[in-house]
Amino acid sequence: MAGQKMHSAKKRRFINNTIVHAVLAVLAVVWVFPIVWVILTSFRAEKGSYVSTFLPQSYTLDNYIKLFTDTSILNFPQMFMNTLFIAICSCILSTFYVLAASYCLSRLRFKLRKPYMNMAMILGLFPAFMSMIAVYFILKALGLTEGNLIKLALIMVYSGGAALSFQIAKGFFDTIPLAVDEAALIDGCTRWQIFTKITLPLSKPIVVYTVLTSFMGPWLDFIFAKVICRANSDQYTIAIGLWRMLEKEYIDSWYTCFAAGAVLISIPIAALFLYMQRYYVDGLSGAVKG
Amino acid sequence: MKKRAVSLLLAASLTCGLAVTGLTGCGENNGGKESVRLMVWSPSEDQSKDSGEWLQTRCEAFADAHPEWDITFVYGVMDEASAGEQVAQDPDASADVFMYANNSLEPMRNADAIVRFGGKYREQIEKTNTPEVLDTLIMDDNLYGIPFTTNLWFMYYDKSVFSEDDIKNLDTMLEKGVVSFPFVNSWYLPAFYIGNGCTLFGEDGKDEAAGVDFGGENAVEVTDYLIDLAKNPNFKIDDLGSGIAGMRDGSINAMFSGSWDANAVKEALGDNMGAAALPTYTLNGEEKQMYAYAGTKAIGVNTHSKYMVQAIELAIWLGNADSQRLHYELRQVVPCNTELLEEADIQQDDLVMAQNNTFSYTSIIQPLVNQMNNCWTPVENMGKGIRNGSVTHENAQQQTEQMNEAMNSDGIS
Repeated sequence: MAGQKMHSAKKRRFINNTIVHAVLAVLAVVWVFPIVWVILTSFRAEKGSYVSTFLPQSYTLDNYIKLFTDTSILNFPQMFMNTLFIAICSCILSTFYVLAASYCLSRLRFKLRKPYMNMAMILGLFPAFMSMIAVYFILKALGLTEGNLIKLALIMVYSGGAALSFQIAKGFFDTIPLAVDEAALIDGCTRWQIFTKITLPLSKPIVVYTVLTSFMGPWLDFIFAKVICRANSDQYTIAIGLWRMLEKEYIDSWYTCFAAGAVLISIPIAALFLYMQRYYVDGLSGAVKG
Repeated sequence: MKKRAVSLLLAASLTCGLAVTGLTGCGENNGGKESVRLMVWSPSEDQSKDSGEWLQTRCEAFADAHPEWDITFVYGVMDEASAGEQVAQDPDASADVFMYANNSLEPMRNADAIVRFGGKYREQIEKTNTPEVLDTLIMDDNLYGIPFTTNLWFMYYDKSVFSEDDIKNLDTMLEKGVVSFPFVNSWYLPAFYIGNGCTLFGEDGKDEAAGVDFGGENAVEVTDYLIDLAKNPNFKIDDLGSGIAGMRDGSINAMFSGSWDANAVKEALGDNMGAAALPTYTLNGEEKQMYAYAGTKAIGVNTHSKYMVQAIELAIWLGNADSQRLHYELRQVVPCNTELLEEADIQQDDLVMAQNNTFSYTSIIQPLVNQMNNCWTPVENMGKGIRNGSVTHENAQQQTEQMNEAMNSDGIS
C-alpha cells in the first residue's frame, strides 16, 4: 500500500514535470525565436528583406563586412563609435547622479527632501518625448546642435535628468541598517566616505542595475538622437542608422546588414551584463549581520 | 528622460548669456567678393564618393560659374521625404537649399519656410518643365520649387514572359505569368479605384471641400474585382519585400515599384528587365486604366536664408539640365527637364520612359491637401480586409461605403 502510494506520487510528479517542462520548452522557443531569426538573417547570403524559407539557403559574413567597409552612404563604424562614446559618458554621469541622489534622499534629512521626492514623482508621470521639441530649442539656443557639440548635447540630455529616477536605488539604500552608518560616523567617517566605502560596496546589485539601465538608455535611444542630429550625418547614432537602413530606398540592399547591426549593438550590452552579473550575487551576502 | 526638460532648463538659464554670442553670422566682403555661406541638404547618395559626389560636383561648378561670390558650402544629409518636416520644424537651423518630396510641401507652407519662385525665375523654370510636373509644386498659384525628378511607381516585368502587347492589360498578364502588386499599401491600391472614376478632392486634387468619392456603384465594382484578383492563383500580394524576392527566385514575373528598386530588378532579370507604364484592367468586360499617385522631388529654398539671391540661383542651378544629366548618369535619377528628355540616349532608356509615361498618362497628381492624411489608413484596411477574407462579395458594398466614409471623416480612423 505504502509502496503503491510512493509509486503514484512519483508518477504524478513525473507527469507534472513533463507538462511543466513541455510548456516551458514551448515558451522558450517562442521567446528565443525572434533572436535566433535575427542572428540567422545577419548571416544570410540572399539579399532582400523577404525570404520564403525560414533558414537561409547559404551563409556569409559579407553583411558584417559590408557594415564596416561600405561607409559611403551609411557610416556604421562612425555611428557605433559615436553611440559608444555618448553611452559611456552618460552612463558614468547618470550612474553617479542616481546613486548620489538616492543616498542623500535615503540618509540625509533636509527641508526640500519631501518636496523634491513629490516633484520627481509628478514629473515622472509625463512622457519623455513631450519635452522633445523644447529640449531641441533649448539646446539650439545654447549652440549645441552643430558639429561635435551634438555629442555633448546628447550626453546632457541623457544624463541631465537622471537624478529624478532615484526611487529604486533609494529603496535599496533604505534597507541597509542605519546602525552601520552611525558606527562609521562614530569612527570618524565623513558622509562621502560612508557613501563610497560602506554604502556602495554593500549595494552592488543596485549599482549594477543602475549602470546597466543608464548605459542602455542612451545606447538604444532613437527619438532624442533623431530630433537633435537632424542633417548632421557624422553625428548619427546607431539607432538612427539602423532606422535609415529600413527606408524604402535602402531596405532591399541593407536589410541583412540591418540584422547584422542589430546583433552587433547587443554585444556591448551583453558584455557589460556578463561582466557585472557576478556582483548581483555578491551584494549583501554576509556583509551585514542583524 | 522626462526630467531632461527640467534639468536642461536649469542649464539653459545659466548659460544663456554665453550662447547668444556664438551665433552671429558672417557676410563681410572679401577682396571685392561677397562671402557667402550656403547650407545644402541632400540624400546621402548624392554626397557619397561611391556614387560620384553629385552634390559637391555641381556646387563647385556653381561656385566656378559665379566668381563674384566667395561661397562656402556646408553639406547636410537629409533625404527628400523627411526634409519638409525638418525644415518646417526649425527653418532657422535648416539648409538654405534643400531637396524635398512635394508631398511635404504643406507643412513648410504652413511654417512659411519655403520660398515662392516668381518673376524671371519662374519663367525660367516654366520654360524647361511641363505644366503637369510644375502643377505638383504649385499651391494657390505660387510655385514652390524646381522639380528634378518625378516620384511615383510603375511596372517592372520580365520580357521573356510577357510581350509588348501583354503588358497593356493586367488580366492578360495574369494569364501568362505571375504578377505581384502591393495590395495592402495605400499608396498603390487606389490605382484601381481611380481607374473606375473614383476621385479625390475634385478634378485637380486641390479642392479640399469637394472631398473624396470612393463610394458608389463604381467603387463597389472595383472592390468586387479586387476580391477576385486576390484569389487569382497567378496574383501574389507584394508585402514586406516579397515582390522583389519573387523576382529574384523567378516565382514572380511582374511587380509594381519605383526607381528605387531598379538596380535590384536589373540584377534579378538582367537583359530581360522591362519597365512600363501601368496597364489597364478588365472590369466587367470594359478596359479601365490604372492610375498611380504621382509626385515630384524638387529643390526648395528656405525663407530664412541669409543669402537669398545666391540660394535661389543655386537651387535653379541644381535643377538645370546639366545637373539633371549628371544626376542621371551617376545615380540613374530619372530627369524631368523637357530639353533633356528629348535627347536620344535618354529616350532609349526604358526606365526613364516608363517613369515619365506613367507620369504623363497613367497617374494622377497625389493630392496635397491636409485632408489627404485621412485617406491612407482606410484604403490600407480595405486591402488587408480583402487579403484576410473579411471583405467578401456579400459585404463589398457596405465595406466600400465604410471606406469612403472614413476617408471623408476628420476623425482618427
